[in-house]
Amino acid sequence: MITADERLQRPLTREPAPKGGDERGPAVPDVQKPGDSNELLKRLKRVDPDQAKKYRQRSGE
Amino acid sequence: MISFVTGLETEYGCSVEGRGANTQIDDAQALVRSLPGECRVIWDYRVESPRQDLRGFRADRLEVDPVDAAFDEGKHYGPSEEVRADQILANGARFYNDHGHPEYATPECRSLDDLLAHDRAGEAIVLQAARAYAESTGRQTTIYKNNTDYHGASYGFHESYLVPRDWGFERLYAALTPLLVARIIVCGAGKAVAESGRPCDYQISQRADFFSERASVDTLYRRPIFNTRDEPHSNPADWVRLHVIAGDANMMPSCTWRKVGLIRLGLALMAVDAVPNIALADPVRAIQAVSRDMTRRFEIAVEDRIMTTAYEVLNAYLDAGERHLAGDAEFGRLIVDVREILESLPDRPDRIAGRVDWIAKRQLLQTVVDETGLRWGSSELLAYDLEYHNVDPNEGLYFALRDAGMVKDAIPTDLDIPAPRDTRARARGLATRYPELERASWGTLVFRLDGELREVTLDPERDYSHVSPELDVDDFIRAIRTS
Repeated sequence: MITADERLQRPLTREPAPKGGDERGPAVPDVQKPGDSNELLKRLKRVDPDQAKKYRQRSGE
Repeated sequence: MISFVTGLETEYGCSVEGRGANTQIDDAQALVRSLPGECRVIWDYRVESPRQDLRGFRADRLEVDPVDAAFDEGKHYGPSEEVRADQILANGARFYNDHGHPEYATPECRSLDDLLAHDRAGEAIVLQAARAYAESTGRQTTIYKNNTDYHGASYGFHESYLVPRDWGFERLYAALTPLLVARIIVCGAGKAVAESGRPCDYQISQRADFFSERASVDTLYRRPIFNTRDEPHSNPADWVRLHVIAGDANMMPSCTWRKVGLIRLGLALMAVDAVPNIALADPVRAIQAVSRDMTRRFEIAVEDRIMTTAYEVLNAYLDAGERHLAGDAEFGRLIVDVREILESLPDRPDRIAGRVDWIAKRQLLQTVVDETGLRWGSSELLAYDLEYHNVDPNEGLYFALRDAGMVKDAIPTDLDIPAPRDTRARARGLATRYPELERASWGTLVFRLDGELREVTLDPERDYSHVSPELDVDDFIRAIRTS
């Protein structure tokens, strides 16, 4: 049996690409930000910053 | 015109407090069984054939993810049908535990409006089961409609289309592979990391990293762009169930509509022998390059060492649709919609952020980066990416965008919508009312009457709308046999 943490041994997690990582242009689209919304801001504040770190799934189809 | 009866299967991500991937199969089994109402595990596995290949052979075995295989070493789960916990719902859908993921397979739908309604109903049904599971176990449970855990495990969103058997693998592959690659630019779900290949801050598709083959029968590992599973769930002499695994699970119904509509467009062009002649040099490389291309040039190599773009590929299909499918209202709307997306995408993607998941989420994450100082690629930023896909309307960031009016989404959340009236799903859904129903699958119903089994085959192309919900079981069987 292996533990969930050992899945990190998969050679898949990357260091972030440098800005301008695509040699032909910007690394992110030049899109505008969403407008202000109190409810949206409240939801953003409720996000657990560790949730993705803890999130492990089995492969599906 | 052939209607290309369509269904969608979504394997949901599931986060259970204090649990992990090594207990995921047990947790998903319990979650599915938690759905309120009677749990009748009567799925008929006799007709399942996931190793049969559309190219005319049967694979000896299917590839499995070695990491997942290690989870299962020394573990005994009990009978497969108990673990999978298949339920047939009154709306004709199938809800079960697939490799540790709660999976909702919509009933077969003829219209895209029905399909979107049932896809949204699936979100609500899985969430209802999760809430019941959380209440009974005391474990906080969150459901995500996405395709990755950001650590190399992917789970699927599949589309099924009923197509004539005599079209064959070669024609289907040639007609649809360019679409499977190019359509991600108008319906990708977006992802703030790369899990294989060239690193990037953000990419268009959740699934692109997980394809390594052009075509194969596998779905769990070494996944192909074009899946050749030949499991028709109907008369194999007449029909193929085209099994598409190369799409993302979308939060925006408009993206689901566009994603399915484009494949239906390709199939309709096949029916009139008007498919554009485009052969990609390397579909796997192409989908991964397009997915990472934040310049939005979306160049793709075609055979003969010529370059094209995803724009040109999609426009070729739209042009052919205008020429050969004029008069079809649904394709007319689709063509207008996709052209609008393609026109805004190069220079003004902000104009279409409310219509395309990957752009809306990209904007949202940029806001988080600007406001918090988080860096692209950090696990903290991935948490925001993940929460975009939370299906709880009171918690998910997608639904926050919708409620703020930033996303166009008018599909209601309705747990109790009936099965589509004009497909065999209606017969299956109505059949769940009868205690005499002993087994069921997509294509068959088996009843036990007076100690004897009576099997009824359901026709995938037939309209069952006239079958009354008020019949006794004998009359019901007679009606679905003769309708």
